[in-house]
Amino acid sequence: MKLFNIFRRSLFLKVFTLSSIISIALIYFLGSNLYVRISNGIIDEKISASLSEAESAIQYADYRFIIANLNPSADMGALVEEVVKSTNLSAKDSGREIAFINSNGKVIRNIPAITTSNFLEPNSIPSTFRAEVQNKSELQWTRTQLRYVSGEILDGMVIGQKITIPRVGKYEMYVLFGFDGQQRTIDLIGRSMWGTGFLLIALIMITASVVLRQVIKPVKQAAEVAEQLTSGDLLQRMDVKGQDEIARLGTAFNEMADTLERQIRRLENLSRVQQRFVSDVSHELRTPLTTIRMAADVIHASRESFDPVIARSSELLLAQIERFENLLSELLEVSRFDAEVAVLSLDKVDIVALVRRSVDDLGFALRERDSEIRIDSQEESLIIDADPRRVERIMRNLLGNAIDHAEDKPIDVTINANESAVSISVRDYGVGLAPQHINRVFDRFWRADPSRSRIRGGTGLGLSIAREDAQLHGGEIRVWGDLGQGSNFVLTLPKTQESIHIEPAISELPTNLQVK
Amino acid sequence: MTSVMVVDDDQDLAEMLGIVLNGVGIEVDLVSRGDEAIDVFRNNPPDLVLLDIMLPGLDGIEVCKQIRKQSMRVPIVMLTAKSDTHDIVKGLEAGADDYMVKPFKPSELVARIRTRLRRAGGEISSNLTIGDLAIDIVEHTVTRGGKEIPLTRLEFDLLVALAKEPGRVFTREALLGEVWGYRHSTDTRLVNVHVQRLRAKIEHDPENPTIINTVRGIGYKAGATGPRG
Repeated sequence: MKLFNIFRRSLFLKVFTLSSIISIALIYFLGSNLYVRISNGIIDEKISASLSEAESAIQYADYRFIIANLNPSADMGALVEEVVKSTNLSAKDSGREIAFINSNGKVIRNIPAITTSNFLEPNSIPSTFRAEVQNKSELQWTRTQLRYVSGEILDGMVIGQKITIPRVGKYEMYVLFGFDGQQRTIDLIGRSMWGTGFLLIALIMITASVVLRQVIKPVKQAAEVAEQLTSGDLLQRMDVKGQDEIARLGTAFNEMADTLERQIRRLENLSRVQQRFVSDVSHELRTPLTTIRMAADVIHASRESFDPVIARSSELLLAQIERFENLLSELLEVSRFDAEVAVLSLDKVDIVALVRRSVDDLGFALRERDSEIRIDSQEESLIIDADPRRVERIMRNLLGNAIDHAEDKPIDVTINANESAVSISVRDYGVGLAPQHINRVFDRFWRADPSRSRIRGGTGLGLSIAREDAQLHGGEIRVWGDLGQGSNFVLTLPKTQESIHIEPAISELPTNLQVK
Repeated sequence: MTSVMVVDDDQDLAEMLGIVLNGVGIEVDLVSRGDEAIDVFRNNPPDLVLLDIMLPGLDGIEVCKQIRKQSMRVPIVMLTAKSDTHDIVKGLEAGADDYMVKPFKPSELVARIRTRLRRAGGEISSNLTIGDLAIDIVEHTVTRGGKEIPLTRLEFDLLVALAKEPGRVFTREALLGEVWGYRHSTDTRLVNVHVQRLRAKIEHDPENPTIINTVRGIGYKAGATGPRG
């Protein structure tokens, strides 16, 4: 499986292995074919040479027997001995062996039943072949193994013909040849073919790897450049050399990268212009708003000297200017998140003290209502890496939201920590949230009930910004809610910015609803 | 009568600032260009400068640096339409004591100006020592071995706040209340930047401070009193 994966990942290995396997198979097939043809040719040559040699030997022996037979007192035994032993070179030394056998196995006129040269075992001649020779008058031959008394065995052939010596009996004469010398030649050819084959395969592999490298190098470079482009380095290009297909790949690739770069730069520019515009508008609005705000304040300060209608108008004017201000600063904040230019200014922050301070700061808002905020913390102080302004803003938004929806019931703030994170839950027991609305509370300008007015003049961006602030820290806000049961917002922040994976220290599910 | 120089290119805002400040008995000198501000400051030094960052002629950061070259004492409050950390820190590092993000409440502006003009350590009559520094409350000077170290009023206030209770740990929020007069603020940038500026002037080795020590995760405290080796 592992090997398979390596093959899947490397084009070089894949092509190299494939071409190697194919060339090995091809060379093996061609080589063995050639080997068989050559060895057959050599053996065939030897067989035809042996046949003619055997024929003349047998004819010559036959002739001698006819001559000798003219003299009735001739020593036939000595003649057979001479004919058989006349082969002075053994088949082992590329010579031949001769066997002279009486067809009926009898000793007649001093001729032994079986005479063989050089201690050849008579069973070197198969009995089926002997039967064939006895039945036919022409020269016969077959492949056989030459066996010697010493135990040596030789591949070879036997050629035989029957000889009838008048008034003596029927005999068979066999001439045997070994293929030893031929076999040695064939072996030599085989060995050199193996060597040539290996050399050829090595050459093919080297050539393949050189060629592959040439082809794969630009492909590899294209892949690397593409990866760098993907990771945002838009200036990366391929080296283009020559005018071949590889160069065309490079040129086409570079053209694609150029187009891509142009498009991305154009879009970046557009989005920068857009962000810049939003930011500029917000900033440009601030200066006149400051003047308006101060003018309204001056008017408001002397409202007692005005007639009641104007006095009330000045109050409304100031309140709306304040609301406008909040909206403007929150819009600016949202545009910063959208442009991804919001940055954390980290500090060591005591989160318990920060929560207490946030609750204290809301005192004025609480005094208008009868809600009471109860804080429950396991720890006296918990120091984490955070941006205090942002965390304070999250708390202000969560607490403000709770006060708005608490219907004058108490609000519970709980702080808890685990190894990686701290969680702060803000639980109210007021109007609550329908479960299908839980995920919508963070939507910009979203209201659960459009007919419900904003009591504290919230902008509708507070929770959305709170979540962005939490996410900027690498934290999160989870929500639980049910109609009439109130809601629970749990803010979880990592203790240090090194924490990669955080677990909330408090569940958003209220304790009485948790499955034990 | 207290005089304040307002440097802002928006005529209406400047006029409105004039109305508000005149209303609380502060005389106002309006300047609309950055380069003019330097001349006006030289000829007619005010008690405090309100400085917009975006200005024609010379930008607010540069004006701030130029004014600081002429006077260590005068409090400078930056007015900015940007609440980005980057701009604010740049302003503070150029020598501004405090900043206000537009739009601001007039009452808040007046409170800030009053805090900056108040004399630090008013309730303390005797002189203080911290490390090898001698602080003269009446003369408003800090000396080391008889040699004066020039500090801005805010830096002086910050040092006095820490030195009058050596060893006490001040949270950044407490310092914001004590020195800047903020009641509810966690804007620790103000404290951090000014502590750095102060350390650069009074510490022997600002990298390893011994007079103003950091208490990790909480804030700062003044080091032990007495001469240092």
